[in-house]
Amino acid sequence: MAARLRHARWLVYIYFRCLGQQMKAILAYEADFVILMISAGLVQITGFLFIWTIFQRIPDINGWTFWQVVMMMSLIFITEGVGSLFFEGTWRVSRLVYNGNFDMYLVRPVSPIVQVLAGAVGFNGLGNIVTGGALLAISLSNAQVQWTPGRALMLVILVVSAATIRVAINLGTAASVFWIRTPWSLVPFFVHQLGEFGKYPITIYSLAVQAMVVVVIPFAFVSFFPVAYLFNMEAWSTIGLLTPLVAVYCLFMAVWIFRFGLRRYESTGH
Amino acid sequence: MALIEAQGLTKKFRQAVKEPGLVGSLKHFFTRQYKDKLAVDHIDLSVEAGESVAYLGPNGAGKSTTIKMLTGILVPTSGRLVVDGLVPYEKRQKNAKNIGVVFGQRTTLWWDIPVIESFNLARDMYEIPAKRYKQNLAEFTELLGLDEFMNIPAGKVSLGQRMRADLCMALLHDPKMLYLDEPTIGLDIAVKDSIRKFIRRQVDERGTTVMLTTHDLGDIEDICNRIVIIDNGKIIHDGDLAALKDNYARDRVIHFQLARPPVSMDPICAGLPACDLKSDGLSLSVRFDRFEFAAGEIAAAVMPYVEVIDFRIDEPEVEDLIRKVYLGQLTLDAPDSAAETTELAVATEA
Amino acid sequence: MPHPRKYLAMAKASLEVIFVYRAGWTVNLIGSVFYVVAMFYLWQTIFLSKPGALGTFTWPQMKAYLIVAFILNSTMTWFDEWQMGQDVREGRVAIDLARPVDFQMTRLASAMGPIPFELSSAITIGAIVAIIFGGIAFPSDPAHLALFIVSAALAVLLKFSIIYCVSMTAFWTTGMEGVSNARMAVQNIFSGALIPLVFFPDWLRALASVLPFQGMISTPALTYLGTMDGPTTAFMIGSQAVWAFGLLLFGRLLWRSAVKAVTINGG
Repeated sequence: MAARLRHARWLVYIYFRCLGQQMKAILAYEADFVILMISAGLVQITGFLFIWTIFQRIPDINGWTFWQVVMMMSLIFITEGVGSLFFEGTWRVSRLVYNGNFDMYLVRPVSPIVQVLAGAVGFNGLGNIVTGGALLAISLSNAQVQWTPGRALMLVILVVSAATIRVAINLGTAASVFWIRTPWSLVPFFVHQLGEFGKYPITIYSLAVQAMVVVVIPFAFVSFFPVAYLFNMEAWSTIGLLTPLVAVYCLFMAVWIFRFGLRRYESTGH
Repeated sequence: MALIEAQGLTKKFRQAVKEPGLVGSLKHFFTRQYKDKLAVDHIDLSVEAGESVAYLGPNGAGKSTTIKMLTGILVPTSGRLVVDGLVPYEKRQKNAKNIGVVFGQRTTLWWDIPVIESFNLARDMYEIPAKRYKQNLAEFTELLGLDEFMNIPAGKVSLGQRMRADLCMALLHDPKMLYLDEPTIGLDIAVKDSIRKFIRRQVDERGTTVMLTTHDLGDIEDICNRIVIIDNGKIIHDGDLAALKDNYARDRVIHFQLARPPVSMDPICAGLPACDLKSDGLSLSVRFDRFEFAAGEIAAAVMPYVEVIDFRIDEPEVEDLIRKVYLGQLTLDAPDSAAETTELAVATEA
Repeated sequence: MPHPRKYLAMAKASLEVIFVYRAGWTVNLIGSVFYVVAMFYLWQTIFLSKPGALGTFTWPQMKAYLIVAFILNSTMTWFDEWQMGQDVREGRVAIDLARPVDFQMTRLASAMGPIPFELSSAITIGAIVAIIFGGIAFPSDPAHLALFIVSAALAVLLKFSIIYCVSMTAFWTTGMEGVSNARMAVQNIFSGALIPLVFFPDWLRALASVLPFQGMISTPALTYLGTMDGPTTAFMIGSQAVWAFGLLLFGRLLWRSAVKAVTINGG
């Protein structure tokens, strides 16, 4: 058991070593990351503009006020940013496998999953995190939340859990390349688009869609339930407490799916 | 106990089949058809520690598939495979510590970070003791001339530089096995030479076992002792390189440059096997079996009759040999019969 | 245009590529449907809670607007700045220059090749979504339908010319992802894909009217709905044409100067 723990710590160390090196390289050699960050910010500003324009015409969406919806959006942005900045590697898997470069991960004595996660850095993520963080802060200050130390701690846990769920979804769907060979990340993109549903209160959707984003690909736990908890909204808030558990579950599922896909890759060789 | 022990190793693939053209594409969109391919067909292979094996075959013969199974990337369909006491595909990460891999066409270095940082990451990944790492790094840097580009990202160095760095990367952790896939492809002659010498040195000094797949026969000549040829998934030859040349590549050709055309060919060619005089009358070639005649004998037979300005000797070409094998013009002994036999199973085109 | 057969072959080739990557392309399309469906639910909720929020649009008209936007967004998805970035980065530009074909035309041919397939898939999916949500509005008469088709064609050409111009930045940057994302973000707002431009506050609407993006979605969609009067419709479609061809020309100029700069520097 102690050996497993030590090994896990070593894997985390390797992850940070790889990621750190790539970050340094980008900062040193690539001036384009500024464009990336700015464009990410632009995307979010347009999203914010959209919501703002809508709320010019209506007072609320199913009882959800402007700042609550903005907060939902900010959580989507922040978690998107974390996924890009720290775990962009999940988006490179398709191209690696397609070009035959994935084998390089398999001949090293390190878990391929860790290598995948450490595989790339997307600096647009920093733009997402900053803008998303700003939006979150602004919406929190504009909303009426009863703050307790417990609630504040819960906020941190919720953001971390939301990010974990997002990354787990990226990792699990990245494994699809072991079944469907393409040079682009297709299934990950497809599922990522489901995140669109996470931008608005799920009460506006039909039951089928709700089931999809709550149970199947739990985007609702990235934005809807955490915000519901923070604002103590009806029955949803207690479900919001489940978010960390959902995060752990998603992580396990993602790792399991990826390993399963790896086994298939190793037997079909494609 | 051999380092690599493979028995009845087999790999079968299912491949999608598509007809050409737009109609074919449409059909392929809606239904897929498959056919089975036996890439590796029950091969037996045994490699001792310290051997240096060339693994040859035409494209599609099953070379990369075999190597992938040996490195643990691919799971065999059937058969037994043990490398240094481990089953590679079952204990892949553990096996990884024992092996170094150089893919000629792809790199194991990180693309965007300086080469030295890739090495440092390798040190952490393979958990190489600091002292050993420093030693190896210093030695390889010197032997491979890495200083000049150590701080440049792998994506920005030349192909030759990248190959040298890949080699260093593969050997930093003192692996027992080194797998090389087309290591000198696309390189200029000077770099090829230094890389071959370097690899040979690892075999000689450190006892590293090397398995090399290549189309470049210069690689084989400089690096390998043993040659294994695979075709259509089956091993069609497995033996000592020197014995191969002795048995199948016995011809040498000596070319004489003459001052004047000879008066008559008969006295010259009397005791000689194959004489050939070029149309300008000034180039005379004699092809002979090097076990039957010495070059000096041939020269002694020719020189009394003509004035020789210059001469040169062509050595037996492994290249010709291999080409003939690939073209099906030459069938070598099956792997289990020893190479000392003087009976040649030769089927040449008439 | 000399030798149209060449360009036809290129169009066919890029269509074949889609067939080979069948799973991928279908998945890509369905992924973009989620965005539309989310929009549908959102607007439906808005409409149901406060019908006046849709302004002069009826609910069937709003739905039609969203579907038309979706279909137009789904065409020419195969062509983006990334491809151009790759061409420049991998030195394919030099190879293309050596070929006896016009660079912009070849890109146009490849971009247009998949269109029949994209259109048929997008229309099918759009129809399904429309039916599920209770039907949409249709053009009031054949004249409007014809105008719509003209406007839609111009919209697609405009999309190409915008992307082509933006992709010229490939000669000066190393990564196209940021540029592409920025273009898409700006395009999303100012084309009217996210929200009909009439809903914008005045200052934003004024800005949108001087930009080319409205010709990508808003103009054809409004033509479809017939909500603009005759002169306005003519003017808007005219603007589309002016922008589309103007940017095509501008793109050619950019290309020429970029190539000149590159060949001088030996990049």
